[in-house]
Amino acid sequence: MNEGVSASAIAAAPSDEDHVRDVTEDHGASAVEEPSADDFRHARTLPVDDEWYKRAVFYEVLVRAFADSNRDGFGDLSGLTDKLDYLAWLGVDCIWLPPFYDSPLRDGGYDIRDYRKVLPEFGTVADFVELLDQAHARGIRVITDLVMNHTSDQHHWFQESRRDPDGPYGDFYVWSDDDTRYSDARIIFVDTESSNWTYDSVRGQFYWHRFFSHQPDLNFDNPAVCEAMIDALRFWLDLGIDGFRLDAVPYLYERDGTNGENLSETHAFLKRCRKVVDDEYPGRVLLAEANQWPADVVEYFGDAEVGGDECHMAFHFPLMPRIFMAVRRESRFPISEILAQTPAIPERAQWGIFLRNHDELTLEMVTDDERDYMYAEYAKDPRMKANIGIRRRLAPLLENDRNQLELFTALLLSLPGSPVLYYGDEIGMGDNIWLGDRDGVRSPMQWTPDRNAGFSTCDPGRLNLPIIMDPVYGYQAVNVEAQSNSTASLLHWNRRMIDIRKQHPAFGLGNFHELGGSNPSVLAYVREHVDADGFRDLVLCVNNMSRFPQPVELDLIAWKDCVPTELTGGVPFPAIGELPYLLTLPGHGFYWFAIHEAEER
Amino acid sequence: MPATSPTDGNPGDTGDPLAGLHDALLAWLPTQRWFPAKGRVVAGLRTVSHAVVSAPGETPTVEHAVIGVSFADAADTGGSTEERYQLVLGVQASPPADVEYAVIGRRGEDVVYDGLADGRISRLFLSLITENATRGPLRFVAEPDTEAPIVGPGRPLIGEQSNSSVIYGERAIMKLFRRATAGLNPDLELHRALGRQGSHEVAPLLGAIEGEIDGEPMTVAMLQTYASNSADGWSMAAASVRDLLAEADLRADEVGGDFAGEAHRIGKTVAAVHLELAAALGTHPLDARGASEIEEWMLERLDRAAAAVPGVAEQREAIAAVLRGVSAAEPSTLQRIHGDLHLGQELRTPTGWLVIDFEGEPSKSLADRVRPDSPMRDVAAMLRSFDYAAFHQLSEWEQSADDPDPQLERRAQEWADRNRSAFCDGYAEATGTDPRESPELLRAYELDKAVYEVLYETRNRPSWVSIPLRSMRRLLTPAGRGER
Repeated sequence: MNEGVSASAIAAAPSDEDHVRDVTEDHGASAVEEPSADDFRHARTLPVDDEWYKRAVFYEVLVRAFADSNRDGFGDLSGLTDKLDYLAWLGVDCIWLPPFYDSPLRDGGYDIRDYRKVLPEFGTVADFVELLDQAHARGIRVITDLVMNHTSDQHHWFQESRRDPDGPYGDFYVWSDDDTRYSDARIIFVDTESSNWTYDSVRGQFYWHRFFSHQPDLNFDNPAVCEAMIDALRFWLDLGIDGFRLDAVPYLYERDGTNGENLSETHAFLKRCRKVVDDEYPGRVLLAEANQWPADVVEYFGDAEVGGDECHMAFHFPLMPRIFMAVRRESRFPISEILAQTPAIPERAQWGIFLRNHDELTLEMVTDDERDYMYAEYAKDPRMKANIGIRRRLAPLLENDRNQLELFTALLLSLPGSPVLYYGDEIGMGDNIWLGDRDGVRSPMQWTPDRNAGFSTCDPGRLNLPIIMDPVYGYQAVNVEAQSNSTASLLHWNRRMIDIRKQHPAFGLGNFHELGGSNPSVLAYVREHVDADGFRDLVLCVNNMSRFPQPVELDLIAWKDCVPTELTGGVPFPAIGELPYLLTLPGHGFYWFAIHEAEER
Repeated sequence: MPATSPTDGNPGDTGDPLAGLHDALLAWLPTQRWFPAKGRVVAGLRTVSHAVVSAPGETPTVEHAVIGVSFADAADTGGSTEERYQLVLGVQASPPADVEYAVIGRRGEDVVYDGLADGRISRLFLSLITENATRGPLRFVAEPDTEAPIVGPGRPLIGEQSNSSVIYGERAIMKLFRRATAGLNPDLELHRALGRQGSHEVAPLLGAIEGEIDGEPMTVAMLQTYASNSADGWSMAAASVRDLLAEADLRADEVGGDFAGEAHRIGKTVAAVHLELAAALGTHPLDARGASEIEEWMLERLDRAAAAVPGVAEQREAIAAVLRGVSAAEPSTLQRIHGDLHLGQELRTPTGWLVIDFEGEPSKSLADRVRPDSPMRDVAAMLRSFDYAAFHQLSEWEQSADDPDPQLERRAQEWADRNRSAFCDGYAEATGTDPRESPELLRAYELDKAVYEVLYETRNRPSWVSIPLRSMRRLLTPAGRGER
């Protein structure tokens, strides 16, 4: 999602001197030279694998908050490269980086000033290629956000467009003599914007923007814009990137008489992007960011007849708040309901699911009643609320209850979709609700109990955001080093669960069937996958949403005579017989079982 | 009761194919959950009717029978000396091992067993329904305009109380009514009527098996869509109450397990069923004569309870005064209702709530069960059920039954009030009529139900009797008037 009302602490970052010169002094030149991928070394590539994103465990890293290699107080790409061994050890398959492009940072980097340049604080394109190369050397893929809908108003395309309506960029944005068109499109940031049109005194016309007024929308009706955007994709794909999370995709086109969302023209352009990927860069993926109901989001997977021909992946937004609600209500139905409403997706498509990410816990996809309920339960302090959501990390949301942390993670790793972990949640990092906007969940990664938590060796006063220092979640109590040394730690537990997930293709590739059962507090389901060789992988997951121990009787007659084998310890459980299968679970407990067909034993 | 059956039940009568099995049946029946064995003494058994359902040459042989069981404690059953039950029997010389647990006895070379345990027999019944077949006295009827279920073997549902069901691969469920009663079973009748109204509040009817008894039609079984992945309202409410009672000081509206949202949805669901039943089967005004009939019936029940429970006898006059509120109430209407509603008769599915089991109160005669009544009876029954849900766990949390914890009681009462009120809100939202606007009528029905519960618990679950007694006291004090 776009960054929302940003009062980011680093909003006033220095602008890029070179660009200002490009735009203001180069009056005679009509088109600005764009760097080419051939100007840079290319990263080594991984073998083409058409299904990697379905099996992968994703890990979202905020470059700024992960590791600082040059002591400036900001995390950077080289710092992240230094930590790849840790991510490989944890079992991460793919790193997702929010935008690292050059940007005035008025919207957390989602306001791109140059699609082919790295934010100087983060490093250079060469640093990125090195990250990619080193990640690939460890079998880890890297994807990043790409904002196609709009640019920063400091992008040279916009500066040219406002200066010279008849020049090559004159038609790159949506200009109008008045502010009356497309009046059916809602205003997204109602707190800061009163219209989707803003008057530009240089050009003497209004320009269209679905988000902030400093983010003019690109004009996709202009074929040159489509070409320029596809060339930007090619630039990074040529360097070796494994895919993009396409930000704010529903809004690419504008049409009178519509709300300007999910238009057929938008889908046509996404199909074109997909074709470029399939033809020229097989094995790379597109992930749609469309915060809509699943029934609408599936449109972004494209035509199911051909297995999907738009985005490979899309986030399942409503699932996450309902996991929280189900546990609080001690009832499986909030989850059962949303999964029952989730339509089937094309053969080559996959959901991305998450518990927490860099945004607040989004409550747009719940009803008003449910939202009030979630606020009451999970945001007892009003400072914890942000926009329509709750800005907490996973551990504080769950009051640092290890049983719940494990249950939530077990759900994330076993429900249908590829799990996306948020950096720091694997060690149970805390948040700082006193920081502005969503910075509370973006504090530096806690590596060690040393100065600056091992994030940076700079003067502590230079840190981009302060380290968490409270007695429960502070870096001296919660850090990677300490947890690496204890096999009973949350970190080791997460690593083991990720490892188990990888041993069973059913988690990533399998279908999903909810079992029901007599106890409404117990959510039970099977994941089943049969591979090309006919090998059947069947996993039974049983989760207790209640804080009290619960019995459940499951109808497992379809697997009569099979022996369920518990996956964390390999202990065989009693064979399945005629009668409903009785299990007892501790409060917030869960089981994963492999079920082998009787004749295969 | 006159016997109009083809066989007269004399054990020596060679015309009765079950004659040799009577002793085996007498041993088998008390082990069946649907057989009301508790505290009853069986005096005798006879075959009321018997027919072969399978075609010649089909294996196994399938038989349908109605047996009459007479009880020694006949006075308790209101004068009837005999109760009748339906059996489906499988007959085979060497049946498969997986029906071994269902064997009743032997007849000559053959083993006779409970036919519902045999997947071949449940498959046969399902295919006969889809074919609209007739076999002997049994008519298999598919519900028009419904999707024919995929034919396959069924397997018995375990843990049922008064009937026996088989489930067909999470797609359909067939319920065999164990009690054999002349007339159309209201469960089938109302499901049919609601299905034809396009109701989303019941599991769609797919078919039925009809037979005959005493020369009159009888409902043998019904087939409906199976609500897979469902849980009943009682279990869900119990989870919510447990969540509340485990907290030291949080109020009912503050705990995570708050049930009010579900109670609201249940209210809307029950209201929708009432509207659909009214649309399908009509309404009648509740006139003075109708009201006094209802009162009479309630007062009769009161006297039976007063005779058995001193606590009721002491309050008889006060209770009767409240029950007479039916006549005092504003004009209202009568219609077909559910008749035996409680949280256990509601199923939460991933798409909403379903109401199940429209048979009516089991202790009543068929004529009483199909008689139009006020929808307030169902509403009152639900309010009673919320009370039960709130208070039934107190004994687990209290130190001892003699030492009630007033704090816990207050919190349980809060849960009951909150959810009763949410239920009424939901009901009012769907019908436009708030049940709390008819306080006399609602209170009369609720007290009538509580009196019945006091009698039932005294006889069956003495440790629970404090729940309806507590409610009875509340309903008799002015503070208990109406709903908050």
